[in-house]
Amino acid sequence: MRSPVQRRTLRPLAAAGLVAALLLPAALPATAQTADDHILRVGTDQEFSGLNPWQAVYVVDYEVFTLNYDLLVGYDQNLGFTEGFATSWTTTPDGKTTTFKIRPGMKWSDGQPATAEDARYTYQLVLDAIDKEVTLGSGYIDGYLSSAGLAAVSAPDPETLVVETKTPTSLLLPAYVPILPKHIWEGHSLDQIANPEADGFFKNDPPVVGTGPYTAVEFDPGKFIRFARNPNYWGKQGGADEVIIQHFESNDTMVQALRNGEIDYARGIGADAFDSLAGQPNIVTVEGFANGYSYLTFNGYTKPIKGGGASTKAVADPAFRDALGWAVDLPVLVDKVLAGHGTPGTSLIPPFHSNWYVPPAPNVQRSFDLTKADQKLVAAGYKLDSSGKRLDKEGKPITLAMTWPASESELATAAQFISEWWGQLGITVEAGVTEDDTLLADLTPPEYDPPGLAKFDVYMWGWVGDVDPTSLLQPFTTDEIGGSSDTFYSNPRFDELFVKQGQTTDPAERKAMLQEMQELFYRDLPNIPLYYDSELHAYRTDRFTGWQSQPPGTGTPLFGFGPIGYTQLTLASAAAPSASATASEGASSSATPAPAPVDDASSAAGLSSALLAAILALVAVAVVGLFIVRRRRDSGTTTPKPTEDE
Amino acid sequence: MRFLARRVAQALLTIGFIVIVNFVLFRAMPGSPERILARNPNVSPAAIQQTRERWGIDKPLIPEQLVAYLVATAQGDLGFSFSSRGRPVTEVIAGRLGPTLLLFGLGEVIAIVVGLGLGAYTGWRRGGPVDLVGNGVSLVLYSMPYFLLGMILLLVFASTLHWLPTFGMTTLGRTYDSALAYLGDLAAHLVLPVATVALGLIGQYSILMRSSIIETLNDEYITTARAKGIPSGRILRAHALPNALLPAVSLIAINLGYVVAGAITVEVVFNWPGLGTLTIEALSARDYPVLQGVFLALSISVVLANLFADLIYGRLDPRVRS
Repeated sequence: MRSPVQRRTLRPLAAAGLVAALLLPAALPATAQTADDHILRVGTDQEFSGLNPWQAVYVVDYEVFTLNYDLLVGYDQNLGFTEGFATSWTTTPDGKTTTFKIRPGMKWSDGQPATAEDARYTYQLVLDAIDKEVTLGSGYIDGYLSSAGLAAVSAPDPETLVVETKTPTSLLLPAYVPILPKHIWEGHSLDQIANPEADGFFKNDPPVVGTGPYTAVEFDPGKFIRFARNPNYWGKQGGADEVIIQHFESNDTMVQALRNGEIDYARGIGADAFDSLAGQPNIVTVEGFANGYSYLTFNGYTKPIKGGGASTKAVADPAFRDALGWAVDLPVLVDKVLAGHGTPGTSLIPPFHSNWYVPPAPNVQRSFDLTKADQKLVAAGYKLDSSGKRLDKEGKPITLAMTWPASESELATAAQFISEWWGQLGITVEAGVTEDDTLLADLTPPEYDPPGLAKFDVYMWGWVGDVDPTSLLQPFTTDEIGGSSDTFYSNPRFDELFVKQGQTTDPAERKAMLQEMQELFYRDLPNIPLYYDSELHAYRTDRFTGWQSQPPGTGTPLFGFGPIGYTQLTLASAAAPSASATASEGASSSATPAPAPVDDASSAAGLSSALLAAILALVAVAVVGLFIVRRRRDSGTTTPKPTEDE
Repeated sequence: MRFLARRVAQALLTIGFIVIVNFVLFRAMPGSPERILARNPNVSPAAIQQTRERWGIDKPLIPEQLVAYLVATAQGDLGFSFSSRGRPVTEVIAGRLGPTLLLFGLGEVIAIVVGLGLGAYTGWRRGGPVDLVGNGVSLVLYSMPYFLLGMILLLVFASTLHWLPTFGMTTLGRTYDSALAYLGDLAAHLVLPVATVALGLIGQYSILMRSSIIETLNDEYITTARAKGIPSGRILRAHALPNALLPAVSLIAINLGYVVAGAITVEVVFNWPGLGTLTIEALSARDYPVLQGVFLALSISVVLANLFADLIYGRLDPRVRS
């Protein structure tokens, strides 16, 4: 019997297998050769939203645009203001007009002059968006200027920018808005810049033109962004000639890559992996405060909602919440949920904001005391029934539904502990996770469009802040019910202070207001801040040195505010002066930032995939040929022995 | 020919059904994507309403949204990714297809050659030393999850021995003097992930092939062949193998369809920029348009692989065609 199958299927397969087997070992020596030592490689747990800064969502997106561009006002090592696109600024006594002096003679990375007109264009773009009531992209960046009450902007001469606001404001200087080159962006409509689904959406493909220390020259979506030194950068140049930010979907893999020296920095490391890095050669771990916190929110909606609302009015009662605040052991949560990498929560402003954070006074600070919680509950009118169940004021046993979003799986651990503690007070807790979108829908109050039912009792999630604390305060204002408010907290004094703190330009005065807001918050407890989780980063010291945390002691070297972490780095091999650094300085006379390596790499990639196919085909033919010849010879000469089988 | 037409028609029908299910599945999921905007204190209600209109989720589900969806899908327009701003879903998926095909193509080929070869040999020499060792190893490999196997290989060969790179397709930031240098770098990065895929599949294939060969060898026509004095190697190659291959073909074809699904864990372990990693990214970012696209691509590839299996089977075993 002939065996067509065997010949047709097995042989090419075998050949291909052999090809692979041949090719792979040949490739092995290639890894021994390390690439350029002057490249800083940074690993991150977050994916890129793109290079158009208005579309920024994640911390890594902010990192990308602050490498590419300058803010009008920069940040120094201690998070104080320093020169950025502007070198100095003055505000009129009424606090509504600020004049910025723009650095004379500054150039974009493509050699064009960078002037006040570029800054005016950028701020005007935000004004246009505000006028048309559209969000610019994801709505984060333009929000800084709309919160500051931006009213008008003008550039009377190339070195002067005048910005007017509707009211006096403390929010103009910290506005985290990258100044964009007008000559690149003005050809695109507001819609093409703001709306990622518009025809002709401006992705800002590389090479990006900016005034930052490094500009993006290659973007491989889902993998990495490569930056080259901006030859026209006005400030101190960092030691790295190139910066590559690489995304990792697996935390373990990122940590292994750091250990193996394939990356120099890792952001967003898990607690277990972080602990395993301690004491590794050439690796330094950094635990900084995160700019945010995790909380447990009570449904504070006070009016009845037909078919919705909380299961008991108790959760809207500050006295009830105060009592439960005594029944949460925060240090235990830090220990069990974060493996110790965090700080117990107190305020809605995280200690990351060292200038604004005010811890509760010792005489009001709550601790874990179930007896006291019980006394407070009884005093507030929440008694136990004969079977040990806690009753609300309507005489109904209190059963709280507790939930958290599926994306924050560690909160399940917190739920276990809190259920146990509150259970000891006679309060039944029914804990269960909810899918994020469902949870968002459940939280929606009747004020939202379309109206929701605010159908929840207590839930846990987290807030992440900006460089200014305003966005962390806003969700607790009355105006935000139907917007970002998830506690439905409403306190006229808090609302009043919120407006005033945004308008004062005196830091001491503002601090006093923020202190009072934090006291009100702690007293009324619209949510219980559970903990401030730590930012867990790590870096290698064998290729680069000069790592400094921003702010010192509580921050992290990279992924802070502005590009200062990058410009302070020096090559570890500083004894031998960097040959390529001089090369790139030499290149500064040319108009574009060293695009040559990109072209090399991409053409090599294109060429090689064609080549790969050709080689594979050739080898396959050769192997098949050999195989056939050998088989003929085999069957001609050898006599197979009978098998012992059966 | 009628057999072929019937199979193709069936496949097309299945794909149409999947498209509808895909629509229902993702619309039936509670919540609405624009609500996440409400968590941003800076976004106004007017802007949220605009977003809703932009995504067409302010219109009724049936017929407007369904019709719009069917028309767009038929035109190959799967919408825009939520998280990768300004990039169409088709572009996002296409960018990840190549790395996945390369990784799993090579892995499959190696697994088919080695797995089927090993299976045939151990079945032929049942009870021999190769059978004892090979079958044991196959069982272990078969039962081991991909991510565990991958992590072990990574820890041994990348982290401990430093023979091979840890992640990605090429070394970060490396510039290449020649295409060969690039190929070498790529190949080095391929070794561990391909080995993971291949090892996982080898176990599966060899176990199946072994039992298939053993069963075939018990058939009477093999005894007849032996009685006729045909050399035993020829009995295996020309008589036993073709029939024993039948079940293996179905298994392999179906496996080809699951390339994407199986890719997920292997790709994530090695940070391989393929469809598997994309799926996890889209899940964690709640990028529904991309997830929907990946689901569609995955279902279609399973259907096509099944069709392919049917056709191959029809050729191998003419009885199926009648």
